[in-house]
This record gives sequence, structure tokens and C-alpha cells, in this order.
Amino acid sequence: MTVITHNRRRSRLSTLIDQPGGVSAGVALAQAKANLAEMEERSRAVIEEQVTALATLQPSIQDASRILDQAYDHSSAVIDAAGPFELKDLCAAAANLCDLIDAAPEDKPFDWRIVTVHAQALRLLLTLPIEAVEARSQVLASLKDVLKAKVPGGAQSD
Amino acid sequence: MRGMNGVGESLRESAVFNFAGAVTMVIDDSPFALELTAQAVLGFGIKVRHACSSAAEAIGVLRDHPVDLILVDCEMPGMSGYEFVRWLRRSGLEPNAFAPVIMTAAHVRRSKVSEARDCGANFLITKPFSAGVLLERIVWVARDARPFLEVGDYFGPDRRFRSEPWEGLERRSEEIRKAEFEAQRKASIEL
Repeated sequence: MTVITHNRRRSRLSTLIDQPGGVSAGVALAQAKANLAEMEERSRAVIEEQVTALATLQPSIQDASRILDQAYDHSSAVIDAAGPFELKDLCAAAANLCDLIDAAPEDKPFDWRIVTVHAQALRLLLTLPIEAVEARSQVLASLKDVLKAKVPGGAQSD
Repeated sequence: MRGMNGVGESLRESAVFNFAGAVTMVIDDSPFALELTAQAVLGFGIKVRHACSSAAEAIGVLRDHPVDLILVDCEMPGMSGYEFVRWLRRSGLEPNAFAPVIMTAAHVRRSKVSEARDCGANFLITKPFSAGVLLERIVWVARDARPFLEVGDYFGPDRRFRSEPWEGLERRSEEIRKAEFEAQRKASIEL
């Protein structure tokens, strides 16, 4: 197979990065965290909105693929909003549902109880106090069990 | 990819960088996710010049404006992030076709894994990620000196991160040039 190599070229970004001035990594991270902290409340509202939308989705035989895509999108949106705020269990629960939807066989109807259980679990994780570490772990473990049962090898990384 | 070529290594707190003049584009169909990214990079001194809600909008901008850094969401309605990066690399736009691209994804569908690898992006970050990880990756792509390759359908940075010794015949033109230079240098010293 023919390989064409384009000469190495310095991007303008690579030139800019070393120009005088700028900020240290420590200051940059502190500034970024402060900026993001101002959005944390809105993030929680977005997560709640997405979880509610997920919970109210209704399965449809005629439109199964589209509805399932919507559930995937709501779940992804939870990860988007929760990601920067160390809400790891919410992200893990949402990612679990994404994995399950992604692995759903096309020739069989999707077991909608999976979406319902995940929506309930996400709601529970939102209401549980942060210090309820064990209860949070149990919620996540039960979701992982669903993944293990439905997708062989799906939870191997745990 | 993590852990190769310095990726995954923490930045020193005292490391200084300057992104103040970088023309940056963020593409995300979710307004909230876009704002999160913009606020995070603003902390690094990067003001997002072009905030686009779709790949189509971004393409319109890229045709007329040079951009130094692109952050693009993978999953978007219409043209996906993967399709966008593939278009960009083949666009022939100078210098944008070679711009550093970081893709972000809440979740990568199994059917898209090869697309993520082959579309030509410099890096893919999966969420959740901290501001620290984002900064580390931006610094990394700024220093990414991999050549661009055209191999079959692929056009993008060399996907080989490792530099391992190869016992066979060297066919990489850059390595051949380096070897020739080294031979000439040695010969000139011996003279």
C-alpha cells in the first residue's frame, strides 16, 4: 500500500505555547476549576432533566430504534453534564446503560426494564447523600450485574 | 494510547504555557457541554473564538478562517464528529486540514471504535475527564510532532505512537533521510 508522508510541520499552536507570558499549569487548573464550579448547579439541573426524560420514555415496537437512540442520547448527556464534577457514580451508571444499548441485538426486542432500572438508579444516586458510599456502590454493582448478564464480557474492565 | 509519548504523565504545576493567541473552535450539539468545554479552556487562557453547534456550521467557518485548535464532540446529529474530522483532513484547506483536533466522547459505540481510530484526529478523550486531563491533552497535541500520513483511506497524524526498533528494511523516508544525514555527519568528522 502506498504511504505518502507529509513533511512534519509545526502547528501555530506549537509556536504559541512557548511564547513569553502565559500561565502555569497550577494557575490554569485553578482557574478552570473555578469557572466550572460556577456551572455545577446548572449541571445538576441538566442531569435531573435528562434522567426525567429517560424515565418518561416509552418503549415502542414500531419506532424501537429511534426510542433506543433517544435513551442513549439522554444517558450520554448525563455523562456530559456530570463529567467535570467528579460525579463518577452517575457517569458509571449512565455509561452502563450506553454499553447495554450499544450491545443490544438488532434482531431481538430490547428489554425495556433495563432503561427503567437505570433511570431509577440514576434518580437514587442523585438523592443519596455523598457519604452513603456503600449504598452508592450497591446501586452500581447491581447495574454492573445487569451488564454482565446481558452482555457477555461487557463488564470485564471492573 | 495513554502512557505513550508522555501522554498520561501529569503536567508539573509550575510548567508554563501560553495559549492566549490560539484561535480555537469547539463543536458540540449540546449547548451545555459546549459551555463546559469553553469554560474549562478559558481557565487555561484559551478563549473560544468559534463555538459551533454542528459540523456544518464549523465547515462554513473553516473555509474562511484559519484555526489553531479544534475540540469536537464525536456524536452529533447530521454529520458526526468522526465524519467531520475525515472531511477536514481531506479538505485541502491550508492550514486547517492539519490543525490539531481533539475529539471528546461521552461514550464510544463499539461500531465506531475503528472510525475513531481512523478518522484522522490527534486524540480522543472519553468522558468523564477532569480539567487536568483536558489541559494535559491540549499541551500534548500542541507538542505533537508526528508527521501526517496518507495511507489508503487514512489521512491524519501517524497512528504509530511507539518507536520500537525494527529489524527489517527501513522504508520510512524520514528515517532514511536521518540515517543519510547521520552517515554524512560521521564521514565529515572522519575527514
